[in-house]
Amino acid sequence: MSVMTVGLTVATIGAPLLLGLIGLLMPQRNRPDAAALGVAGAGVALGAVTALLILNEGGSQATMHWVAFGDFNVTLTTLVDQRALYVALAVAVVAFCVQVYSIAYLRDDDRYGPYAAQVSIFTAAMLTVVFSGDLIMLLVGWEVMGACSYLLIAHDRSLPEAPAAAVKAFLVTRVGDVGFLLGVIILGVKAGTFKITDVLANVSALDSGTVTLVCLLLLAGVAGKSAQFPFHTWLPDAMAGPTPISALIHAATMVAAGVYVVARLFPLFAASATALTVLGVMAGITLLLGALAATAADDIKRVLAWSTVSQLGYMMAALSVSAVDSAIFHLLTHAAFKALLFLCAGAVIHAAGSNLMSRMGGLRKGMPLTFVTMTIGLGALVGVPPLAGFWSKESIVAALSAKPWLMWAALAGVAVTAWYSTRLWMLTFFGPQRVHGHEPTIAMMMPLVLLAVPAFGLGMGVFAVRDDLVHLDAELILPLGLAGAGILLGWAMCRKRDPIAALPLGAWIGGGFGLDTVQRWIIVEPVRALARATRVADESGVDGVVMGIGRLTESAGAGLTRWHAATLPRAFAGVLAGAMLLVIAGVTVGLW
Amino acid sequence: MVSLDSVLLWTVAIPLVGAVISFVVSDATGRRVAALTAFLTLVISALLGLQQKAGMWHELDWQWVPALGLRFHLGVDGISYPLVLLTALLTLLCCGYSIWHTPTPGLGNHLGALLLVIEAGIIGTFLAQDLVLFFIAFEVVLLPMAAVIAVWGGEGRRRAALKFALYTLAGSVLLLVGVVSVVVQTGSGDMTQPAKLGAEAQLWIFILFAVAFAIKSPLWPLHTWLPDAHTEAPTVGSVILAGVLLKMGTYGLIRVGLGVTPDGFARAAPVLGVLAVAAIIVGSLVCLAQTELKRLIAYSSVGHMGFVLLGISTGTAIGLQAALVGNIAHGVLTGLLFFLAGAIKDRSHTGQLAELGGLRERAPWMAGVLGLAALGSLGLPGLAGFWGEAFAVVAAYSRGGPLWTTLAAVAAVGAALTAAYLLRMLRKVSHGPLAPSLATASEAHWPEVAAWAPLVFLAFLLGVVPVIVVDLAAGASLISGAAGR
Amino acid sequence: MIWPMIIAAGTAVAVLLVDLVFPRWYAPFGVALAGAAATAVSPYLVQKGQLALLCAEADRCSYVLDDTARLVAALIAALTAFALLLYAPTLRARDAPAGEVGFLLASAMTGGVVLGGARDLITLIVALETLTLPLYALVALHRRRDGAVGAVTFFTTSIVATAVSLLGAALLQLQSGSVHLPYAMREDLAGGRPLAIAGLILLLTGFGFKVAAVPLHAWAPTTYDGAPVPVAAYLSTASKLGGVIAILFVARAAVEGDLRVTAGGTLAVLATLSLVIGTLVALRQQRTVRLLAWSSVAQAGFILAPLGGLLLSSSASLFAASLAYTLFFLALELGAFSGVVALRPTEDGGVLDDLRGVGRAAPWRAAMLSFALIGLAGLPPVLSGLFAKITVIQALLDVDSLWLALVVALISVVGLAVYWRPLAALYRGSVDDRPPVSVGPFLPLVAATIVTAVLSVVPQLTMSLWE
Repeated sequence: MSVMTVGLTVATIGAPLLLGLIGLLMPQRNRPDAAALGVAGAGVALGAVTALLILNEGGSQATMHWVAFGDFNVTLTTLVDQRALYVALAVAVVAFCVQVYSIAYLRDDDRYGPYAAQVSIFTAAMLTVVFSGDLIMLLVGWEVMGACSYLLIAHDRSLPEAPAAAVKAFLVTRVGDVGFLLGVIILGVKAGTFKITDVLANVSALDSGTVTLVCLLLLAGVAGKSAQFPFHTWLPDAMAGPTPISALIHAATMVAAGVYVVARLFPLFAASATALTVLGVMAGITLLLGALAATAADDIKRVLAWSTVSQLGYMMAALSVSAVDSAIFHLLTHAAFKALLFLCAGAVIHAAGSNLMSRMGGLRKGMPLTFVTMTIGLGALVGVPPLAGFWSKESIVAALSAKPWLMWAALAGVAVTAWYSTRLWMLTFFGPQRVHGHEPTIAMMMPLVLLAVPAFGLGMGVFAVRDDLVHLDAELILPLGLAGAGILLGWAMCRKRDPIAALPLGAWIGGGFGLDTVQRWIIVEPVRALARATRVADESGVDGVVMGIGRLTESAGAGLTRWHAATLPRAFAGVLAGAMLLVIAGVTVGLW
Repeated sequence: MVSLDSVLLWTVAIPLVGAVISFVVSDATGRRVAALTAFLTLVISALLGLQQKAGMWHELDWQWVPALGLRFHLGVDGISYPLVLLTALLTLLCCGYSIWHTPTPGLGNHLGALLLVIEAGIIGTFLAQDLVLFFIAFEVVLLPMAAVIAVWGGEGRRRAALKFALYTLAGSVLLLVGVVSVVVQTGSGDMTQPAKLGAEAQLWIFILFAVAFAIKSPLWPLHTWLPDAHTEAPTVGSVILAGVLLKMGTYGLIRVGLGVTPDGFARAAPVLGVLAVAAIIVGSLVCLAQTELKRLIAYSSVGHMGFVLLGISTGTAIGLQAALVGNIAHGVLTGLLFFLAGAIKDRSHTGQLAELGGLRERAPWMAGVLGLAALGSLGLPGLAGFWGEAFAVVAAYSRGGPLWTTLAAVAAVGAALTAAYLLRMLRKVSHGPLAPSLATASEAHWPEVAAWAPLVFLAFLLGVVPVIVVDLAAGASLISGAAGR
Repeated sequence: MIWPMIIAAGTAVAVLLVDLVFPRWYAPFGVALAGAAATAVSPYLVQKGQLALLCAEADRCSYVLDDTARLVAALIAALTAFALLLYAPTLRARDAPAGEVGFLLASAMTGGVVLGGARDLITLIVALETLTLPLYALVALHRRRDGAVGAVTFFTTSIVATAVSLLGAALLQLQSGSVHLPYAMREDLAGGRPLAIAGLILLLTGFGFKVAAVPLHAWAPTTYDGAPVPVAAYLSTASKLGGVIAILFVARAAVEGDLRVTAGGTLAVLATLSLVIGTLVALRQQRTVRLLAWSSVAQAGFILAPLGGLLLSSSASLFAASLAYTLFFLALELGAFSGVVALRPTEDGGVLDDLRGVGRAAPWRAAMLSFALIGLAGLPPVLSGLFAKITVIQALLDVDSLWLALVVALISVVGLAVYWRPLAALYRGSVDDRPPVSVGPFLPLVAATIVTAVLSVVPQLTMSLWE
């Protein structure tokens, strides 16, 4: 691996990290510098990645000793291949757009400085995950991402639910990460190293039981990060974070990291049919659950969040049938159009002053550009040809023919996706005008335009170079037809008003089929109860014994003291008796 | 090449001399003398890092009391060096902090003097290479620390101080019996080449050692002195307690337990491991239900030291190195947390989580540092806490067998619980609406920042380049020996 | 000619005479002090070399002046001098008659000087009684306070104790036909073993009274607290030392004879009882001197504990350890009592709360008192106390007497709780009025502190004195 490449890789990760750390130390109200640092970080990363793409060194790896515990070597290893570069590019682009967009979006926020810095650090962490060639190093990026996500979700002080949502996001993913950590450790211990290439080379040596165990453990972490059932509950709540954050972390990049890691370690998963089946089932449930929940939510960001959950399900589904490239393909297109959608939603919310679609409507007049770009985004999401989503989703659906039941779920999902997308489109931009829309500032519009380009053309672009991913043939009829049906349904139902929100079931579906409550009663509350019980046991039980010994000694002292208050004659009697006792005992023992 | 052996003596002597001076001079002067002495000690003890080599780097061995088999035998190697530095650093920070702020009615120069005596005792413990000397140094810490708690502490300080003194003394008298038994049976208290003991003797002597060190560390269920002591102690007291005093237990378990009675250690290791994991889980659960800030942090030590003890109990090189880096990390992060808790209580005059909140509204920097300390403490990779905990699990798993595998898994679950209670703390203290108790809270003052900054820096440094601790330890004969096993 | 005894006895007479012709308090006081000092140095300066007197046969002498005897004589005399110094403020205040006090202390000293060389039971008992008899008077001899109760308790208990030990001595003599040590412990005649065992047990129990060991301890708290503090100090140092020496001699004789196990067993029981009961009861005391008295009962347990090891072995190291602990203890105990007197020169010991805030008002005296108390608790930074404990435990483990070692170790934990309370009182709160300073008590306090400090650095000084 050429020095050039190493340098660029280091720059990609290092620049945003360094600038982010500097940003944290800056005086908080220093907006211009903070903005400069943030944009610069993302910009450098973007530039470096582009340069790497141009240099185009596939599968090159550079490694350096980090620390050794006993005979375990932990290394700093970068593993740069095409896949990594594409994902990195997506990350850098979205990050850049978000940094620019945020300058305007958080104009009135007096803690913009730390915000921008945290976004930079997040970018660095995500890029670490993308480029890392060592499981421990990957773990570092993986967890730091989670921490940044936590901090940024809790950023907004005006929202009372934000802190709770942040904690929930961190903890749910952290629970998954217990599995991830154990998986990594087992892999490392079995392989004697944490270097990904060596670990994967070693897979054949592992017995199938271990492989399956490791895969399932890793999947727990992956499901946590990528909001897959049953670990998906945190993502909708995470929408309490600022919209740009939702675009970057909770749509385009971090949540996709799970998909990326599975792809990177795919030889491992490929070795375990069980793991792939589990993955498939998980994906199937998730993509339907997310899509259906999206049909009922009233909060525009929640709709998009549910849709993200569902789309991630598609990517996982692709992985479960070994269609790795299709998964990454969809990851990239999704990154583009979902980021676009969130930024558009941000603009809409900015204009409407509310997240609720029931408060919107008829906005296409006031904000034409937002309308157009968002329409592109939704079209891509639905899979309207020739927009980006069409190609990636087709390639997935086609690949799914290997698992028919999963394919049918995916097809159903296509219809539902079309339906809720149309619903969102109608409720926001058509119908009676409830608020007067106005286009946002240039700083916010530029990113929309910028992201609209890949959301429109990325699919065609990829098809141009990799026509094996998508086959334009008769099999396309079915998904397209379903999508069309979905659109019609949505159009027909939501022309006037939103029927589902009116339904009593609406809130329940929109809230994710009450799974939050289940989670609360199966996990959260029992743990709380256990904690309270343990505290009592520890403080009055364990410590009780200790204090008890103390009191016992004291009372023994008291008893003996009273015992010594005897009058002289009795004392003498006691003394002489004692002496006699000693003598008799001594003599008998001595004789015997 | 000049020999640094005599430096060993200075690292112990300087604090003692400084203690006497700052005790006799006036309050204001005494505080400065104490801080200056602590600084000198830090510089001097840093010198020990020069001329490293395998085994003992520097050694000092003088006859003292032949009748008791007591020699004045000091030595430093990769295991003790980082701990010595940590002790010197934290003492410096505490003495410096005390110049600016000492709780009434106690006098600042007396506090400084006691801190220096404690420092001498702890450093002596880490450097001692003679069992009896080790025991003496181990004991030196007891009363001064009890005094710090009893004079400068909070509401229930006297009860807590007495409890601390008696509980830990109960441990160390058993240590005394163990130490003397070794000396009597082998005729030597040399820890560098410990004489071989019989298998039976090793077992029961190790049990005596283990109880003593388990109380100091503390290892569940012998931990209940800790919450009271840490909670009632003044800020600097808590920092020293959590930062370095607990490390005497884990260090002793390695140096004395594993070093002098290896077979006994090996036989008792599974029990230690189980208790360590129990400590992780119980500690985290209690924290999750804890309602007082300092008490929460105190109990978190039980959990974190659980990871350290798990690493030690594996007896493998990985585990021991993880334990050592975990020791240092816990010292840095928990020290920082206690500094912050103290700063918060100074402002809000309450430690009840229910009465706190919205710290980031008034003092964003303080809230930021608190957040960092909490994230580090919950083992976030990239910060100091990660290595010790992750590799304690690695060590346990690599021991193989159903027991150790289970322990590894449970410990990993404990890591999630750790995150849960620390985030709960952050949410109660720094997020949410501004609590009345913090309505007038001021942002961090510069002496506070000065005390925190080095710890924040170390938290990052250890997270990014753990090598600085791990590789030092690798050279120590104990660990290379463990690697051989 | 045996000068130490003569000087000591001479001092007593001289004090009386001086008091007659020159009735100012400092005259007899000065004479007594000078005499005590002279006695203290005489064994090493005047009376050099081995010396044996009153010998029935070559190896059956009643008095032998050897190194141990020298040491005991010097120590007793020094302690007498210190007691006098502690008494100085009281004497100056005319609260006690200087002449009588001087005379009585000098007479007690004479007994102590003889004790060290006694080699037969009769001499031993007589010397011991001479050492304690004058103290009955001293306890009561105080104008301000009514020491009657203390004196009566002391006196009557002492009679019982003496009776017990005399009975023991008689039994031994009866069965062995000899009062000389160690022959009194050998079974020559028909009397046989039971008599010997009974005799030894009674003898040791009786001597236990002098060291205030359980079960003959109950007098100590009442007497100490009733007596003037300097007298209490003398009781728990000089008179205790006398008892310890007597017990050591008897125990050694028992080992040289055939009664090692009996001696070991008896002393083990006495030690354990004293340790446990003394410490536990001390926990509850509110009056300073009573607390010290009970703690001194417990300390007797520490002193006797090594001899309990005789049950398992006849190792001489056990005696050495016992003597070593005694010497550490004497310095610390003297420091503790002198500290109390130095802080309350003319009053009684008072309650613990009377010490409140003294740590601020009189930092140096308080520091030295705390020094002594911490030493008695056996903890650093007062290493001598710690060395004392280590010595005992090592001696016991050396003969594999693990359980006794564990008792000693664990009871010293409770011991800390005992000494914690006066320590805490010293440094709690603050008072404005500084306790009056007087030179007399200051000297013993400083001396004790210096000795303790020295022993903290070179403890081995105490460890090889038993031959």
